[in-house]
Amino acid sequence: MASVKLTNVKKIYDNNVVAVHDFNLDIKDKEFVVFVGPSGCGKSTTLRMIAGLEDISEGTVEIDGEVVNDLQPKDRGIAMVFQNYALYPHMTVYDNIAFSLRLKKVPEDVIYEKVTKAAEVLGITDYLMRKPRALSGGQRQRVAIGRAMVRDSKVFLMDEPLSNLDAKLRNQMRSEIILLRQKLDTTFIYVTHDQTEAMTLADRIVIMKDGYIMQVGSPDEVFDMPDNLFVAEFIGAPKMNIIKTKLLLENGKYYVTPFGAKIEVDGDKGKELAARKVKAGDVLLGVRPEHIELADAAAHAIPCTLVVDEMMGSELHLHVDADADGTRLIVRVPTLGLSKEQRKKLVRGAKLNITFEGVAMHLFDAETEKNLLT
Amino acid sequence: MNNTEKRHMGLKALNRVSNTGIYILLTVISVVWLIPFVFIVLQSFRVENTYQVGYVIPKQWGLQNYINLWNSDFKRWYLNTLIIALAAAVFQTIIQLCMSYTLSRFRFKLRGPLMRFMLILGMFPGMLTMIILYRVLSDLGLTQANAVPGLILVSVASSGMGYYVSKGFFDTIPKSLDEAARVDGATRLQVLYKIILPLAKPIVIYTILTAFMGPWGDYVFARYVAFGTSAGYNVAVGMYSWLTNDQINRMYTTFCAGGVIVAVPVTILFLCLQKYYVEGVTGGAVKG
Repeated sequence: MASVKLTNVKKIYDNNVVAVHDFNLDIKDKEFVVFVGPSGCGKSTTLRMIAGLEDISEGTVEIDGEVVNDLQPKDRGIAMVFQNYALYPHMTVYDNIAFSLRLKKVPEDVIYEKVTKAAEVLGITDYLMRKPRALSGGQRQRVAIGRAMVRDSKVFLMDEPLSNLDAKLRNQMRSEIILLRQKLDTTFIYVTHDQTEAMTLADRIVIMKDGYIMQVGSPDEVFDMPDNLFVAEFIGAPKMNIIKTKLLLENGKYYVTPFGAKIEVDGDKGKELAARKVKAGDVLLGVRPEHIELADAAAHAIPCTLVVDEMMGSELHLHVDADADGTRLIVRVPTLGLSKEQRKKLVRGAKLNITFEGVAMHLFDAETEKNLLT
Repeated sequence: MNNTEKRHMGLKALNRVSNTGIYILLTVISVVWLIPFVFIVLQSFRVENTYQVGYVIPKQWGLQNYINLWNSDFKRWYLNTLIIALAAAVFQTIIQLCMSYTLSRFRFKLRGPLMRFMLILGMFPGMLTMIILYRVLSDLGLTQANAVPGLILVSVASSGMGYYVSKGFFDTIPKSLDEAARVDGATRLQVLYKIILPLAKPIVIYTILTAFMGPWGDYVFARYVAFGTSAGYNVAVGMYSWLTNDQINRMYTTFCAGGVIVAVPVTILFLCLQKYYVEGVTGGAVKG
């Protein structure tokens, strides 16, 4: 159990490519922090610098108050789970889990106790004498977690541990990681490119792009108040719709005019805009698919044409093109409450009207792409 | 019988014919390969005449040739060869595997140029270095009667150059295994011998075998370094000295017995380790 502090951490490779720029983060004891971002954003590099598997070009990494920049991975008090499990193929599951303890010359009876306890927690007791190749992906990942567990580490690092699993198993393992976290009650740093994993697991999410931190916040914060367009589009599935539009200020009220419709920015968001004295002008309007509704033709409704309909079970994802300029939007419609008649009408080429509430809107500066309200 | 069945029958017959052809060819090749070996074994047991005779199967069988061997300098030569080959096998394997692991896992500034340099250096025939090597060994006093340490030095000194095959094999072992082991508390050396080498068993055996085989069959350089001093001969050089015009009549069958004794350990080694050897030769390229 320990805090982790990264101060001005930078990673510059030999070919002068900067993978991580000035990374600052304070991870509290027992916190579950997830680094998330697209490929090449520097999330794994940052994790590997914490682990000691990559040199730190600039800045400091502290674990439990001690600067660990020049310590070997084994001396940092960390345990790590790798994307491809990294189990030693020539050793049995038992030997894999016991490996680190044997290196520390822990007595065999203590090793036995620890390994069997970890195996029980992870439900792999029956496979202890098997070699990794005789295990399924999920079982292998459990062994990898078991190997990290027995080390009693201060910090638990996980580098995309679920990426190699199929979708069903990934969901199952995700909930097991949540349970494991409750049992271990230690500091977790988890890397993933999957925003669902980030949202479900994290206390705090660090969203990265091109080596920069785009936002740090709780899942609620990054979802409800994305700092910038990148975070807005990255968090949430299907991703947020972005519409180029204008912000109008009339009689102290703010309006947006997507595709010719005029929708008031009402509620707290309108007040906040007024309080910040935001000027009228070009903006990027973000609306989440689940906040768009199908509507009858009305003054503020936007006429669209249905291009693709995806049946997801509990909901329909409708990909529509706005008739005004062909901008592609995604609308999420719950199937519950949708009559058969209505469903039948939702076919390719169908003409629809959509609308959304002012409170559901996110407004970004057209140039800086920063949220106007954060 | 419908058309599909006919086509299948046709394919089976064709397979049978081509298989038969292949087996006949392979049998002929193996017989041709085995003839010299069988010939030498048979000659080594012939006691009625020591020079070449017009027949293959001995008329009188016996172990006289092997007893002659025992009473000659052969023991010394055999021991010399064994010492050189074993030392080469041990040191060359250690150096070569460490070199391969380093080039496979570490990234340092001159890694690329170093590998290219060794590749180019390796293209020059070893014979070119003979004169200068002899000069160096001679200055160090490692020729003639002291040829054994000299030959060990020569075969071990260049062993890092043969890193290609094992580096290729190590490259196929995921780096995350090294990283996992390092996080688990292993040093780089422990990673090598606890994780990498057990996984690279075929390549380790391949390296040992090739390192052993080089000096075991060496003739040209060994003769050059020992230069007429029987105490420094290896088996190839020593036995060849029996084939001079004045000795061949007397020593021919003893020579054959020596050939058998030389072949025995290598044959046993290969029979035991054949599986790994084949994996080692082909493994670097295809192991996923």
